[in-house]
Amino acid sequence: MIKETMSRQERFEAAVALERPDRVPVMPLMTAFAPRSQGITQGEAWRDPEKGFKAMLDTFNDLGGFDKLYKPNLFWPMIGGRFCSSPVRVLIPGRQLPEDALNQIDERELFSRDDYDKLAALGWNAFWDEHYEKMSGGRPMERVISAQNRLLDEYIREAEIYHSQDISPLFGAYVDSSIMAFSMARTLTQFTMDLYEVPDKIKAAMDASCDDLIQNALDVVSKTKIPLVFIVLERGSGFYYRLDIFEQFEWPYLQRYVDAFLSEGLTPWFHFDTDWSLNLPYLTQLPKGKCVCDLDGMTDIIKAKEVLGGHMCISGDVPASLLTLGTPEEVCEYCQRLIDEVGRDGGFFLTTGCECPVDAKFENVKMMIDVAKTYNGSK
Amino acid sequence: MREVDTMEEELKRAFLAMKRQEVIDLVKKEIESGTELLDILKACRGAMEEVGKRFETGEFFLSELIYSAEVFKAVSAILEPGLVSTREDEDSKGVVVFGTPKGDIHDLGKNIVITMMRSQGFTVHDLGVDVPPETFIKELQRTEASILALSALITPAFVSMKEAVSLLEEKGMRDNIFVIIGGGVTTDFARKEIGADAQTLDPTEAVRLCKEYGERRS
Repeated sequence: MIKETMSRQERFEAAVALERPDRVPVMPLMTAFAPRSQGITQGEAWRDPEKGFKAMLDTFNDLGGFDKLYKPNLFWPMIGGRFCSSPVRVLIPGRQLPEDALNQIDERELFSRDDYDKLAALGWNAFWDEHYEKMSGGRPMERVISAQNRLLDEYIREAEIYHSQDISPLFGAYVDSSIMAFSMARTLTQFTMDLYEVPDKIKAAMDASCDDLIQNALDVVSKTKIPLVFIVLERGSGFYYRLDIFEQFEWPYLQRYVDAFLSEGLTPWFHFDTDWSLNLPYLTQLPKGKCVCDLDGMTDIIKAKEVLGGHMCISGDVPASLLTLGTPEEVCEYCQRLIDEVGRDGGFFLTTGCECPVDAKFENVKMMIDVAKTYNGSK
Repeated sequence: MREVDTMEEELKRAFLAMKRQEVIDLVKKEIESGTELLDILKACRGAMEEVGKRFETGEFFLSELIYSAEVFKAVSAILEPGLVSTREDEDSKGVVVFGTPKGDIHDLGKNIVITMMRSQGFTVHDLGVDVPPETFIKELQRTEASILALSALITPAFVSMKEAVSLLEEKGMRDNIFVIIGGGVTTDFARKEIGADAQTLDPTEAVRLCKEYGERRS
């Protein structure tokens, strides 16, 4: 074991600031994996937040502890009715899905092409105030507000319990990027058609929505008091769109997010799903040592180090398939390579590529954590 | 004097410019002027092939594939009713059974690849999402397809993929079926563990790999 001379929080902050901590910080982005590894069904964890919370804590301890806890339970914190992402329908295990299935998003059109004008006129929050009940088939907004506020209270209460045990949850709020929010509301296909056929309408709607999305995230952080905003990015990448689309519909708003969050002393965490290789150079325009670039295994993390090394902390990217199908030896080899190649000068956080899969082998996840605690690089 | 563009050229230009309505108007104009439906379809396939080529060279992005695939679907919906009696599977590039395996309900990637395959002349039997392994096998037997394509976004689908491959082996069908997997969570490492023949995240590569398999087979 590497002799630890820093607290978990100090280690994390050092990595973000591009320093070399006492060892590489480590975290599986753990949600559904926890109930599975504690022998309870996904349905039980969803129905009973207390069980979800306990599964998370017990799994954290069974794995020997690590440097940040992705989430206190299965839910995303939000102030009632103030959506930080599109209000997509999530299919819940034990309700719309089999008892032990993984929750999944049922992606469908939440508003029509005609609604861009309304969004442009009303902004994000006022639009959903008016539109939510109709879109959801009559589900009263009051019920949503009450449920979300209750879950936010749970999040805050559980985060406090974690803090008392020297475990800090990763983020105080999350927010979708502009393209992510709009694409999930329109579906990938329809949003793509819109981009080619009514780009000005999208632009106007995004212009009117950006401040609300930022403010919604800031309001959540003011409650949770955890100074990091998890920005969900997937759909705006060069995997999907050419750079002129990124430059018009994603990058300007992302810069506004970063400015707003940094000015409040918060760390922007870019959760980049899919391949962002083409977009990485833009990130060098952002302030040095203040943000985190979190990769899921599709972006070449070694290339990312070449582009962002010495400028932005990189997090990633043990692949889901390796954790599910691989052996501990293969996981060990992969993690050691990451520490050698990406972590060699600091500014690296060893994490799972996107979320830790529900059916990851426990010994593989444990190995990932143990490598960070025992291996400080060959160079 | 400028020569009049051929139907193929006009359609290709509209496809490549991402102009849905223009493509549809051109197709309707050709139908009205009595052009054979199969010829119009082949011209649209030619345009889609060019879209695929430009994607492979990096000139086009996934968004252009998504857009043109939707346009092709719209065109197919116009042409198909009249094509039923004239178009048989004899010009098919191959028969594919496609689905999202049990445990996963995601279908965006699957749907894009299916449209690309159809636009390139494959006959695709789409089984939808959350498909049990036995259903894939039954459909392969029913259709005498030689390609099984499985798409997934989450790891629980790996178990179903593995089971489907095991069932193919059990039933003595494995040697005659090309198994290709794709979708966000798949990797070459997963391909080896599952026992598939190919893996890709790239829709045009999926089409190319299936075409190459067909060529090797014939």
